[in-house]
Amino acid sequence: MNVRSAAHWCFGFGAAIMAPLAAAHHAIVAKFDEAKRTELRGIVTGVDWRNPHVHVFTNVERADGSVENWAVELESTVLLKRSGWEHDTLKPGDAISVSGPTARDGSRQVWGERLVSAATNRQVYNVTDSAPERPRSPRPAPRGADGKPLLGAADAKGGYWAYPTSTVLQQSGANVRMDKDGVLARISDAPRVAPFQPWALGLYQHRQQRHLADDPGFLNCKNPGAVRQLQTPNGVQFVEDSARQRVFVLIGGGNRNYRIIYMDGRDQQGQVQGDDDNPLYYGRAVAHWENDTFVVNSTGFNEDFWFTNGGLPHTDRLSLVERFTRTDYDTLRYEVTIDDPGAYTQPWSSGWELKWVEGELPVYFCQDNRS
Amino acid sequence: MKRLWLTAAALLGLGLLASGGAQEGHPLKGSWLGEWSGNTDNGDNILLILDWDGKAITGMINPGTDNIPLTRASLDPNGWAVKLEAEGKDKDGSAVRYVIEGKIENLELPNRSINGTWSSNKGRGAFMASRQ
Repeated sequence: MNVRSAAHWCFGFGAAIMAPLAAAHHAIVAKFDEAKRTELRGIVTGVDWRNPHVHVFTNVERADGSVENWAVELESTVLLKRSGWEHDTLKPGDAISVSGPTARDGSRQVWGERLVSAATNRQVYNVTDSAPERPRSPRPAPRGADGKPLLGAADAKGGYWAYPTSTVLQQSGANVRMDKDGVLARISDAPRVAPFQPWALGLYQHRQQRHLADDPGFLNCKNPGAVRQLQTPNGVQFVEDSARQRVFVLIGGGNRNYRIIYMDGRDQQGQVQGDDDNPLYYGRAVAHWENDTFVVNSTGFNEDFWFTNGGLPHTDRLSLVERFTRTDYDTLRYEVTIDDPGAYTQPWSSGWELKWVEGELPVYFCQDNRS
Repeated sequence: MKRLWLTAAALLGLGLLASGGAQEGHPLKGSWLGEWSGNTDNGDNILLILDWDGKAITGMINPGTDNIPLTRASLDPNGWAVKLEAEGKDKDGSAVRYVIEGKIENLELPNRSINGTWSSNKGRGAFMASRQ
């Protein structure tokens, strides 16, 4: 490992400590203002158990005796279920107290940072989900008949990759402080995040100033294309079809859509039936093996989505070289080089690791938040 | 001329309906419909097609009808000031040099707009166009 990559991986692990998981489908600060916090006590009137965010509706009695209905917003059903909660953990009529930041637009909405059931005096619907513990001795990566490491499951138990050690994107060595959603601690750090062209830097700063509230992934359920698919809390699953020389990447955070990576030696030709299945959110990908590293070259992205958490712009000239290395059974190292001469002055690189999770990829469907 | 313009606008509209209007890349890239008020040579309505190749903004005003190519275009991200220059012809075939200066409003929206003024050696007026 050279100095540059060592620094890079140190950053990745540092980011993991600061930002263990991108838990929200949107940046919380996009909708809620940390400077406007509240504490409420009320009676549950309903639980809307849906993605991207669960809501608990609560009647709150004011000092003058009138009643206001508040919406308490929580994490996704996937994360709440992983943490052991169910749709009926709270029921209409239950008394609760809640604290957290309120909505920027002044509506009666609060982010349920801490929600306590009055009956048990215990916190509920909090996310306690964490990556599976790594075995004390690393298990070797499973290998296929061709001797190459398997990117997917080796047996019927299945499995997928999640819990990325970083959920944000910035060029290697930049060490810019940002939260798990990619919101900068200081907007003045923006020029260090990537080698932006002036317009791209301006647009990135604009998105940051608006707390990423315009994220089309949140507003319109646009797919987590390009790098972003490896930053979602729900993970990705590799399905290797060796007979047809292709790898399917199922996107846990993307409405059950998928990306196809061709290994049959073709050039960037897209799908057999053309691009009618909207593949351009995931580009056109071809791949080959370099020793034990799966190297994917992708081009042909559209401009309808944000290609990473944090709102870094891209153009349709974006191409990616992604290197996937299963360093042991439970670890997938991801390294990416971003080359977009439409938005950046030079190619740049980043990377992180993902953890192996046994079982089925979570079922997650986004629902439109425009209205 | 007006019929041609309306036909072009209708075809553009159909095309955009088919392709969807989201665009998160370069803020000027795309099709813009609007007005350059008081333009006696080319009418009040304007259709702008703008593109970004990574180095330069290129484009055309009223493609298929008046075909006024842009000769220069710039975007200043500090305030999102837009300047477009184009050379067309008036009804008599004499050269008309247009300058459009404005500012992108609602940058974050797919249907963002450019508001400002247009001027030429023959007149001037208000300019407004929205990205389709």
